[in-house]
Amino acid sequence: MKEPTVLPTYQAKDFKSELKPIWCPGCGDFGVLQAIYRALAAVGRAPHEIAFVSGIGCSSRIPGYTTAYGFNSVHGRALPIAQGIKLANPDLLVLVAGGDGDGFSIGGGHVPHAIRRNIDLTYIVMDNQIYGLTKGQLSPTSPKGLHTVTSDLGSLEEPVNPLLYTLAYGAGFVAQGTPADMAGLADIIEEAIRYPGFSLVNVQSPCVTFGEDDNQVKAHRAAMKPLSSIGHDPTNRIAAMDLAQQYGKALHTGVFFKNPSPPPTYDALVRERQRSLAEKAVPRERLLDMFVQK
Amino acid sequence: MDKTRKIDFATIGLRDALDLAVLIEEEAKERYEEFADSMEKHHTPAAAKFFRFMRGIEELHEAKLKGQRSELFGDARRVVTREMIYDIEAPETGEPRTHMTARAALEIALGAETKARAFFEQAIERVKDSSVGSLFEELRDEEIEHQELVRKMIAKLPPEDAGDIRDYEDPPVTL
Repeated sequence: MKEPTVLPTYQAKDFKSELKPIWCPGCGDFGVLQAIYRALAAVGRAPHEIAFVSGIGCSSRIPGYTTAYGFNSVHGRALPIAQGIKLANPDLLVLVAGGDGDGFSIGGGHVPHAIRRNIDLTYIVMDNQIYGLTKGQLSPTSPKGLHTVTSDLGSLEEPVNPLLYTLAYGAGFVAQGTPADMAGLADIIEEAIRYPGFSLVNVQSPCVTFGEDDNQVKAHRAAMKPLSSIGHDPTNRIAAMDLAQQYGKALHTGVFFKNPSPPPTYDALVRERQRSLAEKAVPRERLLDMFVQK
Repeated sequence: MDKTRKIDFATIGLRDALDLAVLIEEEAKERYEEFADSMEKHHTPAAAKFFRFMRGIEELHEAKLKGQRSELFGDARRVVTREMIYDIEAPETGEPRTHMTARAALEIALGAETKARAFFEQAIERVKDSSVGSLFEELRDEEIEHQELVRKMIAKLPPEDAGDIRDYEDPPVTL
């Protein structure tokens, strides 16, 4: 085997904390967590250079299972908190994790604003189409007709489409993965982290307790269609939107869209403005002169 | 061979092959430990006990392979990393269930041994170094032995209670 000149600085285990996950055995989030460890090792930033923010829900426990700085915050408010962290400390690598309810219902109003500001965050949504932590209520991505404890006769609502929603708001990076393909998922998360700007990774992460049988890891393995295998061009937003319309009908995995010419991030623009204003700033010793009539 | 990354089986040498084998056992050991912890937390003691047993088996194999590696290559730099392998002998993360029976746990292990055997069989077809081929054949044969061991353990189990797993679910809670 060819000897690499530089060995990786960090390994997946360096990002694993002592805290043991309490998810239901077989939960899709176990696989997502493994993929996150591997992606972080591949990116090669030290744990203390990473902040992981989450909202509330099963998947929002993820920050505690990593050695990065973590903030298991308020329901639906992970994105505003993460934006604040990134603006206050632009050198941190900021990741956000949460479920579909946290991201597209309780916190749904924050998603478009994080996208339009284009703050350099990686948002990993574990989309299981159900509120699992609270025992199986209808969630924003639950399919129409789904029987749950809050839709006993079947849901009458159309689901939110996270892929189409974020693409339509102009997200520069939108991808989807499943823990059924851990290698593929780790690659997607790594690519999302490396993308300079807001990136969304929607992970179809099955709920073993309240999820449907045809939406479990084994079923995903049989149903998944990698976008690379159908010749999708990830630089074509319209083609991505076209494919994204199949959300809930087909399980496409991979990068739907990656802006080939990423615009400057909000954090970069803020830094630039701070620099230009600093040049025009009145020196401290002359501040009082501004209030004294001459 | 979609369970590995950046490993060229046509050119792999014995040192890297041994390192790969160690990492495969390490990954399986950690996964069984995770399953055992999870089962204990979720009140599934029979499955927890079996997964803990499997963890011990994988640890023994890991130690044996590490010993071989150390004897042949000392502290030579390791270039194969865990990030290059994906669930080769480790059972899949999505397999266990709360309140699963011991039989179901054994079947997960059987599945893991079966896929590990398939992995080594595919690898053997690709390797060119004869010492690596012999190592992989040895490892494949061990997987066959393990499959037999697990099958025998399954055969010894008493018939299963056909109770509905939903009987064990927590009742709804109201405040």
